Amino acid sequence: MDEDNQKTNEKVDRKVIETEISMGPVHPAALEPYRVRLFVEDEIIKDAEITVGVNHRGVERIMEGLPVEKANSLTEKICGICSNSHIWNSCMVAEKALNIEVPERAQYIRIIMEELERMHSHMLYLAHGCEVLGHETLSMRMFYIRETVMELLRMIGGNRVQYGAPIIGGVRPRCELDEMRIQKLKEGMDTVEEKMTEFADRFVSDPMIMSRITGIGTLSQKDAIKLGTSGPTLRATGVEKDLRRDMTVYDPFEFDVITQDDGDVKSNLLVRVFEILESVKIIRQAVAGLPEGKITNRSWEMQDAPITKSYIEVPRGTLYHSYALQDGRVRHSVIRTPSITNIGAMQYACIGQHVTDAQLSIVQCDPCFTCTDRAVKIIRLDK
Amino acid sequence: MSLKSYSRARAVHVMLVYTGGCNGCDIEIVNCILSPKYDAEQYKVFLTWNPREADVLVVTGPVTRRNEEPLRKMYEAIPEPKVVVAAGACALMGGVYKNIHGDIPSEEIMGPVENIIPVDAKVPGCAVRPEDILSGVVAALPKLLNAK
Ligand code: SF4
Repeated sequence: MDEDNQKTNEKVDRKVIETEISMGPVHPAALEPYRVRLFVEDEIIKDAEITVGVNHRGVERIMEGLPVEKANSLTEKICGICSNSHIWNSCMVAEKALNIEVPERAQYIRIIMEELERMHSHMLYLAHGCEVLGHETLSMRMFYIRETVMELLRMIGGNRVQYGAPIIGGVRPRCELDEMRIQKLKEGMDTVEEKMTEFADRFVSDPMIMSRITGIGTLSQKDAIKLGTSGPTLRATGVEKDLRRDMTVYDPFEFDVITQDDGDVKSNLLVRVFEILESVKIIRQAVAGLPEGKITNRSWEMQDAPITKSYIEVPRGTLYHSYALQDGRVRHSVIRTPSITNIGAMQYACIGQHVTDAQLSIVQCDPCFTCTDRAVKIIRLDK
Repeated sequence: MSLKSYSRARAVHVMLVYTGGCNGCDIEIVNCILSPKYDAEQYKVFLTWNPREADVLVVTGPVTRRNEEPLRKMYEAIPEPKVVVAAGACALMGGVYKNIHGDIPSEEIMGPVENIIPVDAKVPGCAVRPEDILSGVVAALPKLLNAK
């Protein structure tokens, strides 16, 4: 048997691996609760294992049997970083199942919200990454730039985190864009673009930072594809795959799919920096070409529907939602978040690194363990 | 004023513990302390991840089944005097996760935080706003500073 394919426990038994460093579920070095086991030999990581499951709340189980509108707003509480993506995708499932036409103005507003969310999620990633690097000044700078986006989200949605813009058939009337808001959006985009460019210049011209992040936590393209990684983590290894290219709602917009070649921390950080600038581009186009008309289509009827699936591109990768409808209630809900495959990428990125680089290698894949805890254990009562 | 309470008043360390909420509250708290816009550090409030250094424990999330034990241990690891701030709808009453079925609360959720450790200040909101967190921590401070 190939040594690589053996289970880690067996390797420990056979003394292939000398020492185990185990952290978690709650540890000062980790922001969210998860468990990491590092198997080291001479301070070099030979194998890594990440276990989640501490945050399991059983959202799908709670969704089961709820009216579909209520279930949609519950999906928003799965993740506080990409809340809009969840509620958008969940509404899209219902729209697909019931053949509801969404007005074009509503689609544009949804895309504006989604891109704002992508920006603030990537900025959070950069801020967190800089903090793990030990560069608090850049991290604070990033939090400062992020505040511009948060203010825009608060202005449109009324809340800083869960803005809940999409509803079935359109967007909430609260999120209508009037002249004042459009003006503020335009100004915000100018600020973000200017400050992000400055930040990127400062970042790549710093030899200390660049030497710290180049060649650390490398994930090869082959491994990334094998593990089924998605999103910026995959694009940082050179694969040109962005689900936004396949989504019809993104057809009117022009944007580039950002790729980098190396798959290390540097590539991951740079992919996110450039994606923020791409998002600025999309929002500018959406604001300039915002169609007139209604923002909600309320003329639809509830019917029973079989299981319907929907995939979208969210800040961390590909998000999947599916459920069936019965008497206006949700049945057989399944949610799959991008981080579940990116956990594999984190484990692979750790291998071969020094122990001190382990945290950086994990953080570079943009972990979000809150939304990853999906597993449900089914206990058979008849046994 | 003794030397101990003098120094305590000049460096309040806040520890954030995360018990299974949606991340929204946590990021707002980190944001509130680190971001230059709110900048709690100018009021001598610092963020730490080590329970033995902490004075204030900020708890977010509805406390899932597997988080109950670590939360208790963490509370015990903090030296006296200590205050606990529960932040967010989840920490206060279990949030959507516990109450969505009305009379039949979810079995996965052991919260609210009050059931597990004593809470001194409560900050409402889903997600909490940074301004509210600051006022929540400030409301809890007298207990910490007046301790002998
Ligand atoms: S109170 Fe709301 S924002 Fe905070 S953790 Fe709970 S669901 Fe998330």
